[in-house]
Amino acid sequence: MSTIDRYTCEEVIRRLSDYLDRELSAAEMEMAQEHLDTCAECASAHAFEARVLDELKRKLRRIDVPQSLIDKVDAILAGAQRKDR
Amino acid sequence: MPAVLQWSDLLRLFAPLVTLATIDASRTEQATPAPQTLDGLLTPLLAGAYGLALRLLRNSADAQDLVQEAALAAARGFGTFQTGTNFKAWFFRILTNCYYSRHRRQRRQGTTADLDEVPDLYLYARAAEAGLHASPADPAQALLNRLDSAQIAGALQSLPQEYRVVSTLYLMEDLSYGEISDILRIPVGTVRSRLHRGRNILKKLLWQVAVEHGLVPDRDREQREHD
Repeated sequence: MSTIDRYTCEEVIRRLSDYLDRELSAAEMEMAQEHLDTCAECASAHAFEARVLDELKRKLRRIDVPQSLIDKVDAILAGAQRKDR
Repeated sequence: MPAVLQWSDLLRLFAPLVTLATIDASRTEQATPAPQTLDGLLTPLLAGAYGLALRLLRNSADAQDLVQEAALAAARGFGTFQTGTNFKAWFFRILTNCYYSRHRRQRRQGTTADLDEVPDLYLYARAAEAGLHASPADPAQALLNRLDSAQIAGALQSLPQEYRVVSTLYLMEDLSYGEISDILRIPVGTVRSRLHRGRNILKKLLWQVAVEHGLVPDRDREQREHD
């Protein structure tokens, strides 16, 4: 019985999201990395997808918490503390 | 004649006991975690909770209501939280449950058939067609620079709900698939597949937004006109 020891381009692209999220097994991560080290096209796609993901997270997370919410939650927590005493 | 014990002898005799007592005390300190207060656990999560709520909902007032509702539910149910377990997962589960109970009727709202099948690397291929890869700058950066936060948030909010919640948790918080699975009480495999499809649909929606706003060339229209 043979085991897979390398990925094709198609197999890497199919696993690209999981690779970016480090959600593959150690062996799969290594095989994907080996492929990306030697395939310029997949490496280019990987760099693009990684950058898109970083930019999406950065732009979506640019949020200021309203002071009114902080005050209201503080009041809820203070009320809960008083009840516990 | 009874031997007279000197002070130094006493110290030598009891030294092992003193050492044992010290070790036991330090072990006890390690074994028993410091008591966790709701205040101490929840306050550091507030910014993340509001960010998640804001991206799930349409406006700040609704997002603030949702976070307050979740904080109140957490205060009432804090007795059921098991010290030492993942508080973040516990609180975000409450938050998403509050969200679901408010917005259950919106399930599958906005789903369109053509969005269900978006190929991998959709955005990469579209950016290549539009000539962005030829740009000396980073092509992904060149594309994302044209979209502002509100446009990206709008695209995320127009995802079908089953993909929106998983994708929003993923994009707003650095959570593993396992943690998202724990929060939403769905299998890791379901998180993986929803996230995969959700991300692909989101990229298609982002491209559509960019085309609608004239930020990138509309190759489909150009092709239609050419034909």
